[in-house]
Amino acid sequence: MRKRALAFGFAGVLLAGCQPADERPEIVVQRFFGECGAVYGASTDVAGAETECGILTTLINRFAAENPDIRVKVNVVAWPGYPQLAAQIAAGDPPDLVTMHQSVIADYSSRGLIEPVEPLLAEANIDPAAFTPAARAGVEKEGRLYAMPWDTIGRLFHVNTALMAEAGLMREGRPVLPNSPEELLAQARQFKQRTGKPYLIQAQVSAPDFMVAFLYTYLLAQGQPIFPDARHVRLDTPEARRVVALMRQLNAEGLTTRNQDFPAATAAFTQGRGGIFPVGTWMLGPYDAEAARRSSALHGHYAVAPFPRLWGSPAPFVDGHAWVVPAASRSRAERAAMARFLGFLARYNYDWSRTGQLPAFAAVLATPEFQALPHREDIAALARTGRQLPGYVERQSAVQGLIGEELEAAITGTKPVDAALRDAERRVNRLYAQMM
Amino acid sequence: MTGAARRDGWVGYAFVGPFLLVYAAILIVPLLMGLWISLNNADLFGRREWVGLANYAQALGDPVLGQAFANTLTLTLLIVPPLTVIALLLALALNRATRLAAILRGVFFSSLVLSVTIVTLIWRFILTPDAGLVAVGLGALGRAPVPFLSDPAYVIPALAVTTLWWSLGFPIMLFLAGLQQVPHDIYEAAALDGAGRWTVFRRITLPSIRRTLLLVVMLQTAAQLQIFGQAQLLTGGGPGGASRTIVLYIFEVSFGRWELGYATAIAELLFGMILAVTLLQYWLVIRHEEQRA
Amino acid sequence: MKRDRLSPLVTVLLLIGAAIMLAPMLWTLLLSFKSNAALMADSGSAFAPPWTLENYAAILKGSLTTRWLLNSLIVASGATIGVLVLSSLAGYGFARLEFPFRRTLFVIVLLGLAVPEQAVILPRHQLFAWAGLHNTYPGLILPSLTGSFGVFFMTQYFRAIPKELDEAALLDGASRFTLFRKVLLPLTIPAQATLGVFTFLAAWNDYWWPLISATTSDYFTLTVGLASAQMNYAQTSGLGFLMAQAVFASIPILVVYIAFQKQIVRAMAGTAVR
Repeated sequence: MRKRALAFGFAGVLLAGCQPADERPEIVVQRFFGECGAVYGASTDVAGAETECGILTTLINRFAAENPDIRVKVNVVAWPGYPQLAAQIAAGDPPDLVTMHQSVIADYSSRGLIEPVEPLLAEANIDPAAFTPAARAGVEKEGRLYAMPWDTIGRLFHVNTALMAEAGLMREGRPVLPNSPEELLAQARQFKQRTGKPYLIQAQVSAPDFMVAFLYTYLLAQGQPIFPDARHVRLDTPEARRVVALMRQLNAEGLTTRNQDFPAATAAFTQGRGGIFPVGTWMLGPYDAEAARRSSALHGHYAVAPFPRLWGSPAPFVDGHAWVVPAASRSRAERAAMARFLGFLARYNYDWSRTGQLPAFAAVLATPEFQALPHREDIAALARTGRQLPGYVERQSAVQGLIGEELEAAITGTKPVDAALRDAERRVNRLYAQMM
Repeated sequence: MTGAARRDGWVGYAFVGPFLLVYAAILIVPLLMGLWISLNNADLFGRREWVGLANYAQALGDPVLGQAFANTLTLTLLIVPPLTVIALLLALALNRATRLAAILRGVFFSSLVLSVTIVTLIWRFILTPDAGLVAVGLGALGRAPVPFLSDPAYVIPALAVTTLWWSLGFPIMLFLAGLQQVPHDIYEAAALDGAGRWTVFRRITLPSIRRTLLLVVMLQTAAQLQIFGQAQLLTGGGPGGASRTIVLYIFEVSFGRWELGYATAIAELLFGMILAVTLLQYWLVIRHEEQRA
Repeated sequence: MKRDRLSPLVTVLLLIGAAIMLAPMLWTLLLSFKSNAALMADSGSAFAPPWTLENYAAILKGSLTTRWLLNSLIVASGATIGVLVLSSLAGYGFARLEFPFRRTLFVIVLLGLAVPEQAVILPRHQLFAWAGLHNTYPGLILPSLTGSFGVFFMTQYFRAIPKELDEAALLDGASRFTLFRKVLLPLTIPAQATLGVFTFLAAWNDYWWPLISATTSDYFTLTVGLASAQMNYAQTSGLGFLMAQAVFASIPILVVYIAFQKQIVRAMAGTAVR
């Protein structure tokens, strides 16, 4: 009897899924950045929202409220959402607008899985010339624009200035950062000696991307073409060995934390257990809030700077978020709705930059509101100097995984540096050789 | 009986038919599709190009797969024997009608209600060397924390312990069921004969539950050779691939690299391996049984 | 079951084991009652007050949490009912009836135990896309129904029931189906409970299939939905919230488990058979 009741309930729920037809065009927006309906619900107060999730949630709410003639469906996917997107495309049922890391775009654009967005941008009156150089480089593949860039994310030195002062590494209220690998080691040793704590806090567990970003940054700084063409990587070079040897030295001398994953490293920094945490722009907001908290170890002692130049010229490796359009047939009305959505997002790019990310539109950088945000003048250069890998480089995340594995072995000392780099190069090249 | 068999002819299909239909459509068909895909240079998005056995040849020469194979085998060997022994001992101890035994049964079954996402979430915070529960405990004893998740030497044992903790309930349950089937009078007769505990266990209990033992070992071996979620969520296969398992590799190849053909080829090889191991275990036990009979 | 008491040494060992089993769960429970800010400052603060319900409040306020909970209930119940019906029928068929290719078919069903999910998940995904089953409840339920273990388990259970029962009923002129439904099925209720609980657990906790099959938020199950709620670095700030989610997602299955515990013990005891 109970079974029958359940079976009827089941059928009832199936039927309830069918609703009367709605004439309005529908756009399906798929995003990561987490679910925070608990805090923001149906709020449209963009200016009052905090965090990536909060700002984007209120933005989409506001768009839906201002455009009652469009049905907006939102899918929040578990980070980073690419397995689901691949499955949706394979099933022939992709969403209309999707958040995507710029480093991932080439994988999809090279196979025609996402569309160039110039027509949509034109319809939304967005001039691609308005993008910052870093943002534009991130979405331009083989001469076409495959996404509307949304920000530039990079890695920064997050600095505990209290400990730096204790180590004698502050001048005129600013942290003294190194200008060469030798200086880095010298300052790190001085820091450790005077404070008894490690100079760097690094997430070395389950976080291969951190090491790879460090390597890429300083290879780009040395003018080294990491990917000479679409099918090869070059890592077995003196330039690369130099960078990895430095990272290994930091580890061997205990000048950095070891055995921490991201949560542990993040907590270590807020608790003042190390001097500098080289992590993404996205931690700027949370740490600034932490520094404002009276009882925090960071209270009033937080500064931030781009990665210091150690070799060559400053060329920090950056990535960014973007909005892509999976290839599909769509009606005129749907395309118009999508263009309106992109235009709306573009107008609110300043609000997004409150997350700590750099805006994708150059005009925002110049606004007084942006410059008034904490620390932004220190890092705005990232939008100009930030470098991405060439547009033809595919499978960046798989490649990062491979290089990260070998770097981990080299840095912890289980493998000689040159052997690890040789293996990394061989494995990446084989991945490309086998790629269809 | 032959008359009954003939009369039963189609009636039997009325009973097994519904399951077989679903089984064929949702398991056998995809399995055969997979076999076909594995002979192609195929991507996730419908591209197919016949390459014969090239994917299998590539798999046999792939050092990453070799490492994943070794990791998976190590994990299986580290998990299945202790799991079987511990579960059997617990079942023997808890197979009684006291209140304490009932409560403890509940306790030892409890972890199996958790999903893999939750198990790994909990264990990450137990094992993390920085502030994990184990590290706090070691710190209290004045010992240095152990980097369970980042040292190649510790990461496989760490995964094994997590899995043991999570999977204990089901085999205990199967063993309890098996022990219930042993007739009481045999024990009573043995007691009258003055047989010691060990003798009773070896001569009566163990032979009576050999089928259950076989079932537990077979199910656990098949399950652990497919170990995936723990490795993916706890270590991501790291450090340096030291905890990458076969199924995790299949997942990376299919969803990370989109090489569906190669991924399914590895999956078919794994299927063959599990099948071979399972049949071997079955054959070993059954042959033994027939010899005794 | 034996009636004698446990020896003191064994009791102590068992209690230590029980502590090892419970400690992680109690710790999770404690963490879930702590504010995220307090844990960020000091993760060791879990053992001391103040505790708070704010994490649970945040989960319940989540716009879609109740929908996901309902989805999980529908999917897990659907899978359970389906598996019980199909496995009971097939188990009876394999255990009691003679028909052509019976042994071969049974072996083919058992081979299913060796099929790794990853070998079929992608072709199955394409098959379901072709059939339009993604983002539907049947699409989420059907894969659970292919489990060989249920058929194997029920076959074994039916085999243990004395054949004399069948013969008596058949002599009374009952049809095979009446015999199955009226005489044998009631005897298998403990087995049904056991199999049902395990099926429910597996369906409730499944992650990969719902992740790629249910791609619109309306059809997320609780496991997928809760995973979507966390950003990659959410662990850094929301430890208490994550742990509250873990507890929240486990409560329904704990209830199911406790509700059926008596039945499971009876299935173990096999009293219904003998």
